[in-house]
Amino acid sequence: MNSNHHISAPIDSASEFHKIQSRPASIAIKDITVSFKTPKGIFTAIKNIDLTIKKGEIISLIGHSGCGKSTLLGTISGMTPPTNGQVIVNDALVKGPGPDRGIVFQNYSLLPWLTVYKNIYEAVDAVFKLKTKAEKQEIVEENLQMVNLWAHKDKLPSQLSGGMKQRVAIARAFAINPSILLLDEPFGALDALTKGTMHIELLKLWNLDNRNKTIVMVTHDIEEAIFLSDRVVVMNNGPEATIKEIVDVPLERPRNKKQIVHDPAYMEIHDRLMGLLFDKFSIED
Amino acid sequence: MGLLIGSSKTAFRLINPIVQVLRPVSPLAWFPLGLLAFKAAEGATIFIIFITSLWPTLINTAFGVASIPQDHKNVAKAFGFSKWKYIVKVIFPFALPHIITGLRLSIGVAWMVIVAGEMLSGGVGIGFFVWDSWNALSLEKILSAILIIGVVGLLLDKGFDWLQKRFSYA
Repeated sequence: MNSNHHISAPIDSASEFHKIQSRPASIAIKDITVSFKTPKGIFTAIKNIDLTIKKGEIISLIGHSGCGKSTLLGTISGMTPPTNGQVIVNDALVKGPGPDRGIVFQNYSLLPWLTVYKNIYEAVDAVFKLKTKAEKQEIVEENLQMVNLWAHKDKLPSQLSGGMKQRVAIARAFAINPSILLLDEPFGALDALTKGTMHIELLKLWNLDNRNKTIVMVTHDIEEAIFLSDRVVVMNNGPEATIKEIVDVPLERPRNKKQIVHDPAYMEIHDRLMGLLFDKFSIED
Repeated sequence: MGLLIGSSKTAFRLINPIVQVLRPVSPLAWFPLGLLAFKAAEGATIFIIFITSLWPTLINTAFGVASIPQDHKNVAKAFGFSKWKYIVKVIFPFALPHIITGLRLSIGVAWMVIVAGEMLSGGVGIGFFVWDSWNALSLEKILSAILIIGVVGLLLDKGFDWLQKRFSYA
């Protein structure tokens, strides 16, 4: 990791946190630059980004709109090829999207003409080509049960609420059993109550899987980032966005949504992130 | 063909000018060419029906395919859909309502051309019946034939309207 981006953890009680940091790397982003050709010339979204993410770690990318968070996530997923640099995932160079990385898109991206069941089945079918039909059906059922949507399996996405759609999208990403989960503002379109429930559901799923999946999430919600993450990557404003700072979140898991906000360590991290994201705090500044 | 034009920019650039030139050609202008090719009035009639009703379906299909949202493409990309799966599970279902709209327009054109074609080719059909009635100076026969043509056209249109509703997913 690039040491000058890193601030040391203020608390040393979190042995769990240090245990994660000694794990093998899951994602290694090496000097990534992404430029796009536009009619007005070349636009560089992110520049010279270095970041190493450990196996089983939950990372949030946070920053203002248009700072290239999603672009960075795109380079990990393989949807956005970098102009310069490399992304190494599970010791292999990323050349395009792959089944080792499950993606949950910002707007769920369910196919509207397929039922909930079919939406997941088609993804499973595309990824596990060698499995039998019965095995694939079992995977779909298992994952739909997991997000409590088995009863709604024959509905079309248009008949579901936002939270339910998001659960289908998450179930779909989990169903292909990726070692890495990439979430692009997954809860951005949800109301605050549903959002809170979804955070806990996501952590539950991660827990059920022995905390082995690496999760990278784009968000612009500070509370969400702290509650879920091991580290929060704060990005500068684009164009040519870089990493401003990486803030450790050494809070003990499992975290309790109600209690965590009173934890002095939580407040410190919250203040730190606020400070990094906002220059002005009052309209009189 | 429509799927191809819609999914490939190069195919669109190649084929679009040809489509735009051939589309406005009157069915009657195609008739001699049909006669030459098929050496029979019946074949020529089918040929002109085909060549004039083809365009709305073709253009609508191409338009439908070209307007697939990036979100849907991303799903296919992210989960590694095969070409076949992409066509069958993404492109086709998305374009289907557009294809049906195209077919609806095509069937309207085809029905008009059938009547005109039958007048030209003679021998059979409602078009011939109208022309034959004119020769027999039977106005009531002509009027009732026109009414029948109109009603059948309406029913065909309604049929496609039903299909369209049947296959919309929203």
